[in-house]
Amino acid sequence: MSSQAQAFTTPLAEAPLNSRFGLAWRLALLASLLLVGLLVLTLGASIFWGVGLWGVNIPFVWGFDLINYAWWVGVANGASLFAAILVLRQHDLRTAVNRFAEAIALFGVICAGLFPIVHLGRPWLFYWVFPYPATYHVWPQFRSTLTWDFWAISTHVILTSLLWYIGLIPDLATLRDRARRPRVQKFYGFFALGWRNSVRHWVHHQAAHRLVAILILPLILIMQSTVAFEFASTLIPAWHDTRLPLHFVATGLVQGLAAVLLVAWLLRWGLRLEPFIDDRDVDLLSWLVLASALVTGFLYLDEAAAALLAEPMQTTAFLNRVFGDYAAFYWMAVLCCVLAPQILWWKRARRSVLLGVILGLSVSAGVWLDRFSIIVGGFQRDYLPSMWRSYSPTWTEAGLLVGTIGLFAALLLLFARTLPAVSMFESRHDEHEDRA
Amino acid sequence: MNDSPPFSSGSAPSAPRRLWRSLEELQDAPDLQAWLDAEFPNIARAGSMDRRSWLRLVGASLALAGLPACSGEGAVGDPPLLSPPEHLPGHVPGTPLFVATSLELAGLGRGVLVKTQEGRPFKIEGNPLHPASLGATDVWAQAEVLSLYDPDRSRTPLQQGAERTWEDAERLLATMRTELAFGRGKGWRFLLPQTASPTLDRLVAAMRQGFPEARWHRPAPLAPSGAQAGAISAFGRAVDLVPDLTQADLVLTLGGDIFLFEPGHIRLAADWQARRRNREKPLPRLVAVESTPSLAGARADQRIPLRPRLVEGFAHALWAGLAQNAVPAEAHPAVATLLAELRRAGPRAVVLAGREQPAAVHALALAINAHLGAFGTTVHAIEPVVAPTPPEEDLPALAEAITAGEVSGLVILGANPAYDAPADLDFGRLVRRVPLSVHLGFGRDETAAASTWHLPKCHPLESFGDLRAFDGIVGFRQPACVRLVPSLSPEELLANLLGQAPDGRELLAATWAEQWGADFDIRFTRALEDGVVEGSAAPRIPVALRPDWSPAPRPPLPPAELDILFSLDPSLWDGSYANNAWLQELPKPLTKQVWGNAALIAPETAAARGLSTGDLIEVIAGERRVAAPVWLLPGHAPDTVTLPLGYGRESAGAVGWRVGFDAYLLRTAADPWITSGTLTPLGSQVELISTQHHHALPGHAVFRIVSADRPDAGGPPAKLPSLYPEWRYEGHAWGMSIDLDACIGCNACVIACQAENNVMVVGPEEVARGREMHWLRIDRYHGGAPENPDTFFQPVLCMHCEKAPCEVVCPVNATVHSAEGLNDMVYNRCVGTRTCSNNCPYKVRRFNFFDYSSAELAPPDDALNPHVTIRERGVMEKCTYCIQRIWTARTQANVENRPIRDGEIVTACQQACPTQAFRFGDVNDENSAVSRLKREPRDYAMLGELNTQPRTTYLARIAPTGENGG
Amino acid sequence: MAAVLFGLAAEFDTPERLVQAVERAREAGYTKLEAFSPFPLKQAADGLGERALPLFVIAAGAALVGASIQYGAQFYLNAVDYPLNVGGRPLHSWPAFIPATLIVAILWAGVATLLTFLFRAGLPRLHHPVFAVPGFERASEDRFFLVIEHGDPQFEPQRCAAFLESLGPSTVREVPAS
Repeated sequence: MSSQAQAFTTPLAEAPLNSRFGLAWRLALLASLLLVGLLVLTLGASIFWGVGLWGVNIPFVWGFDLINYAWWVGVANGASLFAAILVLRQHDLRTAVNRFAEAIALFGVICAGLFPIVHLGRPWLFYWVFPYPATYHVWPQFRSTLTWDFWAISTHVILTSLLWYIGLIPDLATLRDRARRPRVQKFYGFFALGWRNSVRHWVHHQAAHRLVAILILPLILIMQSTVAFEFASTLIPAWHDTRLPLHFVATGLVQGLAAVLLVAWLLRWGLRLEPFIDDRDVDLLSWLVLASALVTGFLYLDEAAAALLAEPMQTTAFLNRVFGDYAAFYWMAVLCCVLAPQILWWKRARRSVLLGVILGLSVSAGVWLDRFSIIVGGFQRDYLPSMWRSYSPTWTEAGLLVGTIGLFAALLLLFARTLPAVSMFESRHDEHEDRA
Repeated sequence: MNDSPPFSSGSAPSAPRRLWRSLEELQDAPDLQAWLDAEFPNIARAGSMDRRSWLRLVGASLALAGLPACSGEGAVGDPPLLSPPEHLPGHVPGTPLFVATSLELAGLGRGVLVKTQEGRPFKIEGNPLHPASLGATDVWAQAEVLSLYDPDRSRTPLQQGAERTWEDAERLLATMRTELAFGRGKGWRFLLPQTASPTLDRLVAAMRQGFPEARWHRPAPLAPSGAQAGAISAFGRAVDLVPDLTQADLVLTLGGDIFLFEPGHIRLAADWQARRRNREKPLPRLVAVESTPSLAGARADQRIPLRPRLVEGFAHALWAGLAQNAVPAEAHPAVATLLAELRRAGPRAVVLAGREQPAAVHALALAINAHLGAFGTTVHAIEPVVAPTPPEEDLPALAEAITAGEVSGLVILGANPAYDAPADLDFGRLVRRVPLSVHLGFGRDETAAASTWHLPKCHPLESFGDLRAFDGIVGFRQPACVRLVPSLSPEELLANLLGQAPDGRELLAATWAEQWGADFDIRFTRALEDGVVEGSAAPRIPVALRPDWSPAPRPPLPPAELDILFSLDPSLWDGSYANNAWLQELPKPLTKQVWGNAALIAPETAAARGLSTGDLIEVIAGERRVAAPVWLLPGHAPDTVTLPLGYGRESAGAVGWRVGFDAYLLRTAADPWITSGTLTPLGSQVELISTQHHHALPGHAVFRIVSADRPDAGGPPAKLPSLYPEWRYEGHAWGMSIDLDACIGCNACVIACQAENNVMVVGPEEVARGREMHWLRIDRYHGGAPENPDTFFQPVLCMHCEKAPCEVVCPVNATVHSAEGLNDMVYNRCVGTRTCSNNCPYKVRRFNFFDYSSAELAPPDDALNPHVTIRERGVMEKCTYCIQRIWTARTQANVENRPIRDGEIVTACQQACPTQAFRFGDVNDENSAVSRLKREPRDYAMLGELNTQPRTTYLARIAPTGENGG
Repeated sequence: MAAVLFGLAAEFDTPERLVQAVERAREAGYTKLEAFSPFPLKQAADGLGERALPLFVIAAGAALVGASIQYGAQFYLNAVDYPLNVGGRPLHSWPAFIPATLIVAILWAGVATLLTFLFRAGLPRLHHPVFAVPGFERASEDRFFLVIEHGDPQFEPQRCAAFLESLGPSTVREVPAS
């Protein structure tokens, strides 16, 4: 049985500790680093010359900046919600996907966090939303949804990394113990905090891990709602709607699940982790994606009904979103988030790497289009027709979007190579319980 | 200014030192030089000065030279009463001084007050004492202050395009003097546009006398050429008309635009609105017969779109109906009802023909007025303010002479014929054929390029002179600052040639000394203080229709596919303002187009030719053709194209260079205003930039119209239930009321706001992106059929909502409420989330997407209002209710230890408005004008249903009355 | 010798053996015991009598503190210290203060949880004598250790070693003190 245990953890530990990285990995990293370069470029330009480099104007004061923000937050929240639920339900699947669900959440929220800062007219003053004793003793204006958002996003970053890190400590210890080269050993040793698998430690570790997982649940509900509030609490007819938070939470969920599905497939295929992410796991994930897609579909219907029953301005605004200049985005969103996943009813679809990847991408794209339709499409029909205008994004904005995707990919690649993509102690635990 | 050479201290006897009133001169003054080296060593040698040092220098130089700003050694006479002079006790340095002067438009004067500080003009207001202003201004007057500091203005003399010193110029003038004296002016031609200036006329007369062989040419490219001819045919003499719209029950305009382009337009608008406000009398009617939609037409109770060629027939039918009681069968359907109205109104009706109309139409208009007995009540005849130009003094005559080689020397005073002369003369080429041509111009324009010599002309705000207004009243022109550039005024150049001391003030004084004799001093001082010469109004002259007059027989019109109409431009006038960025970026009242012009045609005409806005067409008249983009303008007459003049400048300066297309290329001496031709689509498209794309009046009552008899705007009650407790505003609570029935959409407020609040110009690309910065915009809506729609203008600025949505969403307290209910914008606290704009239902907030204040289109620092902050990149900005003016008034009141009086605070928009559509004041004060207006039943809050409780409310427009009225 | 000894370590190769060993050691009256396992081993923990702290209560407490601080700050800074008329809203706009309060409460709870865990587990502590035991690194892999520390009143190297041997370990080693 000892050998059995070995068999389990070795491949997992192999990945991080192996010094000879695969060529594919190197190419992928190179590609994503190029995109990171693009990100640095566009960020730099936007900060140096001003947000005038984007397509924004009056009334379209927000463009890709807030779209990308809402989108990345959705990725993060969906993933953490999923991860947290797995931890709490002690679900078998957690062993397999928890670790990178959390990783996705963390990296997603990092990408998201960029935008609230860079979208400012004077980004170098972003810290003014934090209550510190400033000149003239002016304080932030706490009624503003943007201050709520400041607290939400920072809390999200901290808590997600907590959940992730607490889960990592024992595995870091494992890597420390298996590392051959002293420098690597020191590296992991430092972050393992001297974890020595004491049975006593395990008790507290499990409790803490669980509790943080519990805390994640309300947090992301509030977080996602706060993002929605930034729009819902304004007077813009297309946004001024109490159902918007629900919409953001639900679409965020399908988005996060799809992202997890995507990465699960990629890891399983890329790192040959079939034994850990087995068919049952991806099957379950696919069902979850399908289910949340159905919920999203229901919400789209609800939205239409609500808008058509609302006051004229809101109805006009909604109809403009659905049939106006930006209608394509709305319908593409419906297609990608609601209709495309329906293919998962089909068993072979749930088993195919290609389809899994494509679906993951399509849903993610769909949610982005949904945010575009809400934000840009919402701006277009305001109260005074004299200010009805249009918005066309610029290359700089596109660069920001692609750039953050590159950053996200780069972080994931590094993660897959430096840390166990699947929780090792959990696997050992399962294996022990299976025998018991 | 430092790149121009220092001046010889009056080398030429005929050019005494005082001619060159400029900083350079003062810098040369040894005492100043010494003082400078002591005080500002860096400035004394600075290559180019920054604003502060420039101000210091001005201040210093003035102080040292013993000149208080705009006074002292000949700069102005005794200081105007409107502003206490520097050296009197009681004047606080740093507070603005006002200088009364006159600005010219098409040869006529408008009285203005120039607001200066430390000798630096930065804002222009109307002169309440001046009949052509009554305290209001138009966009061109407002924009003059920017032109004054135009970086592209001519700074040195040029010979064949090469820079020359003023000594060289002096030598040139000397040789000219000798030549003129030698041949008694033989072979010399002088080109001076018609201007109603007694002093210029005096000097010209002197020149004619001194050099009898020289020939003079006084073209008036914009003159209502038809008017005089019409008057001569109808009355046997040339007259000018001075309408008095306060007396008119019915105004019928035949073309033109009495609110924008006609002589005295500001006064006409003011009188018209005064008449509407007069509760004793029934609402007057304005009926506009026109081809191009005008402001008058937009405001008219009834508007009749007609092809230019049909206007005469229409007028003729009216005349026939009135005089012979025989309305021609083929007459326009509207004629019958209009006749009834004219008869009813009788002497309280007036018919006004536009400047572009042919003599026949003017004659008919005069005849109808005479028949109705309107002369003496609604309109008066006076001697022509601008003497009619005899044919031999017009441009074609000059062209012939040059072609015949009779011209050895040509002096062009302030005109730019190479650009605006009739195209068939090809004047630029002609000027080049003249051996010696001397051009005095403000900028290095097309004519400067064509002439052998170019001399810088000084800005009206830098020199002395006098100008008659449309009603003949004389206003003095006096400097508001020392000359920023060594330059000459036309008067001074003529004096120089006459061998007189070219001192503007002396020349002006000389003109009036003759007339006033003994009490000259008092009257002269008085005129300088008031800006107007009292009792100088032209006497009314009795006119009677010639008994033998009958309408000119109307030859059958040649069939023409298309009528072509040339019009002045609501932004650039005739093109002389092409390099003024404020005006280039000013949305035209009806099209809201900026940074360019377009050929205006009716939607149905366009549809018939498969054209849509932005399509390039070629307009062909005779053998001339010009390519232009089309603009579909609802209400435009069918089968007619209107070509706005003033664009397509080849050498206007960095701003105006090649913006739009040049309509002058089609304009011939024979028919300067109306001709006929064809158009052919070129099949290509260009992007035309406009600030408002949607025309239709919104469903929810944003713009409200009430009937005269039941003027109730309706809408939500003043106080809707709110979850939030009321804030109490002790003391003052500022508010504004905007009368939509008064607004004529003339844009004066927009430019006034821009000038007052340092609103930046962003340029065509940025406007195309939707980033214009105007704090005050005028929304234009159309209603009804596109063939002849109703047009509505609605000024929109920050409403200063008491429950301001913008403030609640700002994370950093950058926009908050003041104790007096102002919606303050704290620039240095703003981080630029732009979410306040999201939450503003009126979308009046403007964002600095780039660093506009230091972009190349930004006005020079000197032109900026020193009382208003410059906004940096990344911050939001918006209307502040001119908070700087509120504080000025508050300070004054505190100094005098009294409360602020109602009407003491006047916002820039309010001050500029000819029709007093804006009222600002304290809504806590029951009896303030604004409170009274807000109590009127016409009062309503835009989007009041949102319950943001805006401090700015509107007075609903009153629907047209009478026949075809609403 | 005893002085340089931290304790004795018995290595087992199945969790079951470790659990038994813990039981037996307790019965034998040993008190200063420490067990090591590559994954959470509840029975062993119970054997050692290790209880998880009421983390939830601690976190809840922290949340309460954080919430009151956040709400208090929002109220004090916007309504008392620098009152401004913002959009005509009441100075104390409590509904608008709630979302941030909730979020910050969660933040405090989370951080408190981590700190409590580290504190209770005595981490971070990068060095510990047991690391010196040869083969101990497999404690994070597939081996299970029981350590009797020399601080135990009954600790006497020979007897203790014999006792450990009786538990059927794969090896028994000394844990040098250092």
